[in-house]
Amino acid sequence: MILIVNTTSDTAVTEELKRCLEERSVEADIVEAASLKISHCIGCNHCWLKTPGECSIKDDYEIILKKVVHADQMWVISDTALGFIDHKGKNIFDRILPIATMYLKFVGDQMRHVPRYDQRTDVGIIYSGDVEKEYLERWTERAALNFESRSLGVFAKDELKEAVSCMC
Amino acid sequence: MHVLIINGSPRVKAYSNTDKILEKFTAGMSENGVTFEQYEVADAKQWEKMREAYYNNSRIIIALPLYVECIPGRLMEFLETLEPRNDGTGMAFILQSGFAEGIQLRCGEAYLEILARKLGCEYQGTLVKGDNFSIRFFEGEQRDRVTEPYTEMGREYAKNGDFKSEACKRFTGPEVFPAHIRFLVGLLQKTFAKKMFKKIAGNFGCTKALDYRPYS
Repeated sequence: MILIVNTTSDTAVTEELKRCLEERSVEADIVEAASLKISHCIGCNHCWLKTPGECSIKDDYEIILKKVVHADQMWVISDTALGFIDHKGKNIFDRILPIATMYLKFVGDQMRHVPRYDQRTDVGIIYSGDVEKEYLERWTERAALNFESRSLGVFAKDELKEAVSCMC
Repeated sequence: MHVLIINGSPRVKAYSNTDKILEKFTAGMSENGVTFEQYEVADAKQWEKMREAYYNNSRIIIALPLYVECIPGRLMEFLETLEPRNDGTGMAFILQSGFAEGIQLRCGEAYLEILARKLGCEYQGTLVKGDNFSIRFFEGEQRDRVTEPYTEMGREYAKNGDFKSEACKRFTGPEVFPAHIRFLVGLLQKTFAKKMFKKIAGNFGCTKALDYRPYS
């Protein structure tokens, strides 16, 4: 299953994605997050040490968390700010911590958290606005390490067809 | 010299590792007459004052924990409300993380240089160091052992006005651990560290296994 989280208020993008994916018979679950209440991560560590796997912030992010643990891919559609994805896009990644455990292990030469679930979710970004694209590509590759997965790439809104070609 | 310090951690001040680091850093920085004012991003009530201070200071240090390889979403939310300075204002960063190896912080560090540019500030370097996860769980001497080295870095900043000196670069420690250390640390993680995490979890009131799967 492909999970698409749209943090922007532009639903034309998700409409277009829906159409393209239906044509290709790809199963997708689209979450329009702009209308949801999703807070930032407050770094309390409760998801690792107090209520393992559950976020202490009881808001709509739980909808995403419950889906991502079953998703082969997660695409985040985000506006941009200061050369990067904006805070709404970043919050989707920051709140992902419950899918990791407190336990640590080395992956290659770097330490990583042991994943909580068997599912591995690749991540991709569709952005709207100006970004430092080379940096965003580098960051998405690093961010994927938190899912013990890989980056699907970074695409501008007008490169939607290229993004869709990676959704399978 | 007067410095605006922004604690970019979204965690409340009482439990903020970044705050404990700043306590030591500012003690060293202010030994010889450097003054500072400090604000917390975690406290939204301070945002208006913090914005004013951003426009009224020519030296800014943003201290922050690494959140998913870059800056925390909450800090980004605040920074999005600022206009670029474009007047030669200097901006430096203290980037800290739980992971110990320097390589873990390099992607975040790379963004901070972009960020300073986007805010129309002159980039004055980033003090990069990991291995700080335990600060909130320690007290007294045990905590000081982790945070005290930042006092010397405060002196270094006061002397140079940036984090570009060799001493600041060395402060990061190893980029990656040598293979034999990785082997030993890996072993410790499977044994001693697991027990330690369970103990901490017990203090938090945790009643489930730490690898519990609520959404399977």
